[in-house]
Amino acid sequence: MIRLPAPLLVWLLMFLALAGKLHAQQAEGGRAVLVKALLSEDQDEQIQLIQQLVRLRDPLVERGLAAWRQSEVFLLERDGGRVPVVLDVQLDADGKARAIQLLNGEFLKDGSGAELRFAAAELTGAENTSKLRRAIKATMDLYALSDPNEKIRRDAAIKLGQEQNPDYLTVFADRLKEEVSLEVKDALTEAIALTRAADADPTVRIPAIQQLGEMRSINGVGYLQELEAKAKAEPSKYGAETLNAAHTAVVQIQSYQAWGNLLGTAFRGLSLAAVLLVAALGLAITFGLMGVINMAHGEIMMVGAYTAYVVQNVFKSWFGGSGGGFDLYFLFALAVSFVVAGGVGLALERGVIRFLYKRPLESLLATWGVSLLLQQLFRHIFGAANVQVTSPGWLSGSFVFNDVLFAYNRVFVIAFACFIVVATWLLLTRTSLGLQVRAVMQNRAMASCVGVRTDRINMFTFAFGSGLAGMAGACLSQIGNVGPSLGQNYIVDCFMIVVLGGVGSLFGTVFASLGVGITDQILQPWLGAVLGKITVLAAVILFLQWRPAGIFPTRGRSLEG
Amino acid sequence: MKKSFRSLLTAAAGLAIAWGVHAAETVKVGVLHSLSGTMAISETSLKDVLLFTFDEINKAGGVNGKMIEPVVVDPASNWPLFAEKAEQLLVKDKVAVVFGCWTSVSRKSVLPVFERLNGLLFYPVQYEGEELSKNIFYTAEAVNQQALPAVDYMLAEGKTKFYLLGSDYVYPRTTNKILKQYLKLKGIPDSDIVEIYTPFGHTDYQTIVADIKKFSAGGKATVISTLNGDTNVPFFKEFANAGLTSENCPVVSFSISEDEFRGLPAKELAGHLGCWTYFMSLKNPENSKFVSDFLGWVKAPVLTGVDYKVTGVDSKGRVTCSPMNLSRLGVYLWAQAATKAGSFDVDKVREALIGQKFKGPGGEVTMQPNHHLINNVYIGETLPTGQFKVIKSFTGVKGEPFSEKFLTAK
Amino acid sequence: MLRSFSRTEAWLLLLAAVVGFGVLPALNTFVSPDSFFHVSTFSLSIWGKYLCYAVLALGVNLLWGYTGLLSLGQCLFFSLGGYCLGMYLMLMIGNLGQYKADIPDFMVFLEFPKRFPETGGLPPHWIPFRNFWFAAAAVIWVPALVALSFGYLAFRSRIKGVYFSILSQALTYAASLMFFRNDFTFGGNNGLTDFKFILGYDLNSPSTKRALFICAVALLLGVYMFCRWLTSTKFGLIQRAIRDSENRVLFSGYATAQFKLFVFVLAAVICALGGALFVPLVGIINPSEMAPDKSLEAVVWCAVGGRGALVGPVLGAIGVNSLKSYATHAFAEQWPYILGALFVFVTLFMPKGIVGLPEQWRTFRRGKKTKPEDAPTSTPSTAAKPAAE
Repeated sequence: MIRLPAPLLVWLLMFLALAGKLHAQQAEGGRAVLVKALLSEDQDEQIQLIQQLVRLRDPLVERGLAAWRQSEVFLLERDGGRVPVVLDVQLDADGKARAIQLLNGEFLKDGSGAELRFAAAELTGAENTSKLRRAIKATMDLYALSDPNEKIRRDAAIKLGQEQNPDYLTVFADRLKEEVSLEVKDALTEAIALTRAADADPTVRIPAIQQLGEMRSINGVGYLQELEAKAKAEPSKYGAETLNAAHTAVVQIQSYQAWGNLLGTAFRGLSLAAVLLVAALGLAITFGLMGVINMAHGEIMMVGAYTAYVVQNVFKSWFGGSGGGFDLYFLFALAVSFVVAGGVGLALERGVIRFLYKRPLESLLATWGVSLLLQQLFRHIFGAANVQVTSPGWLSGSFVFNDVLFAYNRVFVIAFACFIVVATWLLLTRTSLGLQVRAVMQNRAMASCVGVRTDRINMFTFAFGSGLAGMAGACLSQIGNVGPSLGQNYIVDCFMIVVLGGVGSLFGTVFASLGVGITDQILQPWLGAVLGKITVLAAVILFLQWRPAGIFPTRGRSLEG
Repeated sequence: MKKSFRSLLTAAAGLAIAWGVHAAETVKVGVLHSLSGTMAISETSLKDVLLFTFDEINKAGGVNGKMIEPVVVDPASNWPLFAEKAEQLLVKDKVAVVFGCWTSVSRKSVLPVFERLNGLLFYPVQYEGEELSKNIFYTAEAVNQQALPAVDYMLAEGKTKFYLLGSDYVYPRTTNKILKQYLKLKGIPDSDIVEIYTPFGHTDYQTIVADIKKFSAGGKATVISTLNGDTNVPFFKEFANAGLTSENCPVVSFSISEDEFRGLPAKELAGHLGCWTYFMSLKNPENSKFVSDFLGWVKAPVLTGVDYKVTGVDSKGRVTCSPMNLSRLGVYLWAQAATKAGSFDVDKVREALIGQKFKGPGGEVTMQPNHHLINNVYIGETLPTGQFKVIKSFTGVKGEPFSEKFLTAK
Repeated sequence: MLRSFSRTEAWLLLLAAVVGFGVLPALNTFVSPDSFFHVSTFSLSIWGKYLCYAVLALGVNLLWGYTGLLSLGQCLFFSLGGYCLGMYLMLMIGNLGQYKADIPDFMVFLEFPKRFPETGGLPPHWIPFRNFWFAAAAVIWVPALVALSFGYLAFRSRIKGVYFSILSQALTYAASLMFFRNDFTFGGNNGLTDFKFILGYDLNSPSTKRALFICAVALLLGVYMFCRWLTSTKFGLIQRAIRDSENRVLFSGYATAQFKLFVFVLAAVICALGGALFVPLVGIINPSEMAPDKSLEAVVWCAVGGRGALVGPVLGAIGVNSLKSYATHAFAEQWPYILGALFVFVTLFMPKGIVGLPEQWRTFRRGKKTKPEDAPTSTPSTAAKPAAE
């Protein structure tokens, strides 16, 4: 079962209770059985009782079972006997909570009728062994089949199907009759087929296997492969028909999987490309256009990431740690990190880099010094450990399409990459400011002659590039860690991307990140992460043999260019 | 010219010592942890807890009547610099003992220095074993105090498929090699064990998580992670977003302690497992005292008894964790041994250390003749608060560095 | 050859030789440790380390300061040299390791005996490294071969400027990842360590340390004199001409690609020699020595000392590293501020590094107050020009 936050769980339980589907008598029976199980000393009896609970569903029983599994059911000594209780979710100022009796759902009171309060830390939970926990889990999975949440029902069906326990068949069939959601119906049908595919009787087994094949059941392929291997090894036991059916089904599913894998690889490649692009775009401006070998690029990304962290904390203090208000923090963080990192870039340009336009190689040395300074500064301000940036709700989780998983944060990075590339492109090519920027970058002296205020343009361009890097940092805080050495993880890749694309070409950067990202994801499943990366690096070196000035070399007449 | 500058320095240092009246009343100890570079993330906390422990001991009167005076150096996550700093501590500062190192490579780098100069090093971080030096005391968890109990637990939970994921360095390699042998002994076929390594600083776990998703489809799989601290964030974010949870595929991590948790999305890690010899959430008087004292100390860090200014201690959101506890244990064991020996002489202290017992926050530990501890092992489930809830404990597990011995013993 | 040296330089070299070969080792050997004048073995080996770094810096400078090629991957060759000698040292441990086995420890626990059963666990390419002279030769030809193949590819297709810099960085990054892999048979992340003997001498004994220090002095002086001689020949002239305007040299009929290739291989060998001596001095070599930031550091030493002058990189390497040694001990928490600020300061106000200071001082005294941004560039930058010029 999917773990639910406590308030949601309570809400769910109330919903169930209000729906009034439960016979009061049955509910009482369930509670009594649960209490009996909790007080029993015999593990086999306990397991048996827990299994009985499948038919005796009740919100309090469910809550009790969940709590038992986590050792959060407490056996309190009362009047010579033991009373099993769970603690209320609401805590008072001392961190204590009221105790709910599992037998009747009432709060435990002392002799004078006052409610007793306990702190969980002071109590010891009822014992549970791994066997018991598994039994509880099985019962709760069966409960989950009738959960109001569609996703939970579906996951439960998939999970129970994989257990291939014939006892569940009737449960599945009953559930299938009531089920309204198509997805859950599919999952249930699959679960029934998968359970039947393990049947000893070939007349039941073979149609089930065929059905799995028809359904392109990815959840079933593991079992079918196993079955195929077994049938090959012991033809007498399984028969040729089973072998054939299993083989056909495996082939069907695998060819379907191959498509899914292709789609998956394409998406992963695209998403890695987007990450690289977002990280490298700022550098494409400061290094590509301006020629500053900006070794502090990674640290400016770090500034952006820490800005996101600070904005998050501010929002947390305003709106609490979750919910709609908090979830908006990330959009603000992107904007604020652009401004903050842009400001740092501005200071860097005014303080150091403007003296070095005539000596671009030496900008490497100075910016490296700056990167050391910034790293240590942030280490002192925020501590040496990584800091925690929580993803907003709308960036957590994923959706499934054709059995391929699309994580929201990855989709967001792709969209964000598209957005900033288009915005940058428009700024550089469709505004007079952009025209001036390009003029200064192409020939500083000539631009100055025709009246462009080169000093200001330099300042603006560097601040803009740094702002982009800052946004990149904020964006990457959603998929990676935020710490003082964040920048170091990306700096080599960033330079490589810009150089591979062709220094000074925005579109070169886009194509280079696409190329590197997709190649890397294609190679990874074969070669593993390390060799894959080495191969990509080697490919880049060889590629530059062929095109020594990158994919899109900047054309100019000067030989020295 | 170089020479004259150096001698000038030496002269200045000599004068300083002559003037320092209390010099005779202190004993110098070295702190060798990276405070900058990639390992600063983990090691800075250990420096903090060491200074805290020195303060505790000094408040209680010091060791053999002498106050502990730390010499803190920064080897900057640079392995040759570790060797240089170690030698500097032993030769120039003449420290009685050094507490330090996190990565295996840093320990390997300083090991010859300690052996050559007959120094004493306490090493506090879980490691791969396969090493035994007479000059090093390993308060760290050996593989049989961490990996094997965790796997036993997963087997008992009914898991039959194991995805061994680690950073490509020696600790994960060795741990996984041992785990594979052990799983084979337990009857798990090779086809149900996958072993994958990623480089340091790896940020893209998409392919691996997609692979785990397939691998865990049957619901019988578990991931045994030896990823090092930094790469855990991208891994777990990817893991959670792929819809994998501790319910359908639990991850047992050997390198995530409460301290690493500070930078991890705790929400996404809830329910996964950790295995250490100490958790901050343990309930006993020693631990309550340690935790509250330490959290109080970081707010106003001072070092009693010696002229040393404590700087660079972060006071926000601090926690305690196993490597920190083991660092502190090391100091206490050394102090007890020095008291027993009545001297700071390395050979005498080494002799006195064997059999030394200390009742610490994780339970009582005993130093064995093999320089490893007998310690309690706890398996904990992570909570959204960044703490661990102990779900199983083993008492008195004997640390054994060489895998051959404990594999044949089982 | 002697004519390449100016009078002062010759005297200074002689002085350095006397101090390096005679005075310091003598102060270490014959003066009692309690004496004020005693030089400890620790000091000798740490200075030996600086000298190795100085050799590395000379290699960087030969490329950057004299040929205009900014390589951000010189530490690859430094480490390759180190690994070659390290392999020999590793095999000389014999059965004194943790496992008392005939092969190095890491091979035992990575189960090499199963992987290479026919050699008892030793990978075949390790076998010849039992011979010191083979290893010593490998220190030269392995990096040379790598430099030759990379340089050939790079210079043939006329990759230059910042493209060359970033490519060399990618090369060393790829190599560090490769060596990082435990499967690559070079000890993975831990690298090679815990050496015991070199040529039968105990590496831990003070006399061996002293001998290694003397070797380092000899190597640095040798490389320095060689570079001085080379740069003063006609070859050196062409080298600098390439730096200042490669196309003009090309149009004058010189095959610049071949000149560059030769210098690149030469610089690689120089760096490798430094690396080879570095390993017995510090006792460890591992892939993090190849990481891109190490090569960057070497470039920074050159810039601090003053590139384009031979003595600059030597001063820079020794200066920065001794400052680092000192600051990481005295200011353990603040030293990155000191170093970072130093680099920014040097770039802004000392464009010619330490060696340029006297000249700056003279200019200043003459009253021609030059603002830092107007300071003449020491070398025209062929690399990293704004692309579209």
